[in-house]
Amino acid sequence: MVMKRHVRWRAGVVGVAAIALAGGAAACSSGGSSSAVAASATQTIVFAESGLGTEGQQTQVAINAFEKANPNIKVTVQVLSSDSTTYLSQLEHDFISGSSTPDVFESDVTYPAKFAQAGWVLPLTQFKPEMSQFFAHEVAAGTYNGTYYAVPWFDNPEGLFYRTDLIKTPPTSPAQVVSDAEAAMKADPALKEGIAFEADKYEGAITAFLTVDSAFGGSLDPSNVNTPGNVAALNWLHAAVYTSKIAPQAVTGWQEGQVEEQFVSGYTPFAINYPFVEAQPMVAAVKGHVGYIPFPAGAGGTPGSALGGEMLGINAKTAHAAAAYKLIQYLTSAPVETARAIAVGDPPSLPSAYTAALYKAAPYFAAVKTLNNYSAPRPVTPNYLQVSSDLQTLFSSVYANASPSAASAAFAAGAASIKSDAAATPGS
Amino acid sequence: MSVNQPTGAEGRPARAGRPSLARRLTPARRGPAPVGHARETGDRRLGYLLVAPVVILLLAITAYPLIYNIWNAFHFENLSYGGLPHKFVGWANFTAMFESPQWVAALERTLVFTAVTIAFDMVVGMALALMMHRRFRGRGFLRASILVPWAMPTVVSALLWKTMFDPGAGFVDYILGAFHPAWSSLSWLGISVWRSWVAIFIADSWKNIPFVAILLLAGLQVIPNDVYEAARIDGASWWQSFTRVTLPLLRPAISVALIFRTLQALLVFDVIYIMSGGGPGNSTETLSYLVYNTFIINTNIGLGGAMSIMLVVLALAVSFIYVRAFRPQTA
Repeated sequence: MVMKRHVRWRAGVVGVAAIALAGGAAACSSGGSSSAVAASATQTIVFAESGLGTEGQQTQVAINAFEKANPNIKVTVQVLSSDSTTYLSQLEHDFISGSSTPDVFESDVTYPAKFAQAGWVLPLTQFKPEMSQFFAHEVAAGTYNGTYYAVPWFDNPEGLFYRTDLIKTPPTSPAQVVSDAEAAMKADPALKEGIAFEADKYEGAITAFLTVDSAFGGSLDPSNVNTPGNVAALNWLHAAVYTSKIAPQAVTGWQEGQVEEQFVSGYTPFAINYPFVEAQPMVAAVKGHVGYIPFPAGAGGTPGSALGGEMLGINAKTAHAAAAYKLIQYLTSAPVETARAIAVGDPPSLPSAYTAALYKAAPYFAAVKTLNNYSAPRPVTPNYLQVSSDLQTLFSSVYANASPSAASAAFAAGAASIKSDAAATPGS
Repeated sequence: MSVNQPTGAEGRPARAGRPSLARRLTPARRGPAPVGHARETGDRRLGYLLVAPVVILLLAITAYPLIYNIWNAFHFENLSYGGLPHKFVGWANFTAMFESPQWVAALERTLVFTAVTIAFDMVVGMALALMMHRRFRGRGFLRASILVPWAMPTVVSALLWKTMFDPGAGFVDYILGAFHPAWSSLSWLGISVWRSWVAIFIADSWKNIPFVAILLLAGLQVIPNDVYEAARIDGASWWQSFTRVTLPLLRPAISVALIFRTLQALLVFDVIYIMSGGGPGNSTETLSYLVYNTFIINTNIGLGGAMSIMLVVLALAVSFIYVRAFRPQTA
């Protein structure tokens, strides 16, 4: 009798635990509301962004102005991680659980295809967005299967920095970059190398490659990576380390921070990097002697630049889509983008936001605008994370291998896995 | 005293009217519940209630994810294809894992790394333990300071070593700088496979050897001096004392150190993540790093789940082998 009572009691405790667990799981997976709220209604929307200091503050300034212009809409900022992997995980947790918040969110240019395939982001078709007003390459990054899913917020093109005091006329071909670098190294003993670029095993290795790629007629299409243009581009980077030796082997550990450090410290006449370098403190020898151009094209190529930047999307489960889109329209309007560029240096995604006022505050934005016409997006595929992993491994192998045929061999070997990763639809 | 007279448990005659001690200690099989039983039941209930929050918490944060991971390993779950159904795929994830050259290569690397690092750590750890066991001036300070690397989080020690091996800022290249031109600095990580492994190996051993040394030192301290005295009287040399006395008596400490270090080496992640990111190429990618890359970075939850289960199975198998090999000898 007593024994039975104990068994029952234990079963009760286990039952309570199970119910608590089930309750927790249910709470985690509770879906959001789907009834649409008109933009004119009084409402609160949640905006998720990565928590970057001055950029976050500038976003808040813009939101305050938006709320003042739209008193019926209150915006709550949900600051997520500034680490891109963690940021993506945080967003995914919300989406998988079916949460209706955040209503609107910041997205890296590589995320929209993934979110669109999963049905987590709202197609923008219903709002009839005027995408032609933005730089075309970033619009392409937010387009999946012909439908727009994200609006360009700011457009960060990676390009070639050079020292105007050492390189009197900007190079017009990849071969001239090498010869100019060699000449500069001979002329200035303070230089430690001829060019700095990101060759660490991380996402930056892909954008550095993309910056050079189109100059050789290459294009990073996962379904066909083993092309003569891609091989030529990778051969040029490989030769920079092993043949001409204008780049030190240390580049294999460099990310954009180290590349920036080399350039602003006056150790290199060339560097492949993002526009933010222009706003960094520089040694006297470099200050005022900075040029910023697309990577010069070789035969059969076009000037090269890689697309970076952020976009804005709307949660597919939100009930406040209209208000969310209104916020997106506001944040991506020309005056707001110009103000953001002046305040924190984020390059506008609208050509019309590159105004005289912006050039007066920061003249280098004229070069940034030019680069934005060339910036190539990374492959637009839902499985980009896997494709990116494969590409990083491939580039890292090439930089570690002194063989002259390393680039083509690596592309030939990597082509199958990248192609299959890009085209994979397992489980379907 | 009659032979039929009942005796107590101690063999003395029991006093009349009083049950034997054995009987007193044996619970009654029949009859009413002893006084206080209800209270005992109440106490037990209270005990269950008090531990229930912890049990629920543990279930939520350990049992639930573990079980859910096993569930996922048998389903298609890839967040890059969030629009596809989370359907049952049987052993497909495990088959894909076994057929993956990347996984097989990572398994080989992990096993080789484990074997090399364990052998090195045990030998050097033993030498350090023997040294610290001797009496000398500053022994206490040495014992305390040798623990510093072990007490440091691996992320911190790996970052320190990454900086030390940096061709621009590290002391390693600074010292080697005398042998090659300053501008063509020697890169340890990212260029050469073997140099990357050497750097990782040094960072890992620097961190973990003190742990082995302290465990073995604790084992040395419980070996009585008499045994060594007896060996010396019998004419045993230092080597004979070490192999015939020290090693056999250190067996329990060695087994603990081996199990801990083997599991740590099999699951090595943070030092790889910080120092090489699995590169150059994927030449320093270990099983744990591959699981992280598949599960967290590529968000392939199903395949990553299968890989993590295999890693746990591998760790359990190794633990089982060690426990069997080092179980106490019975006469």
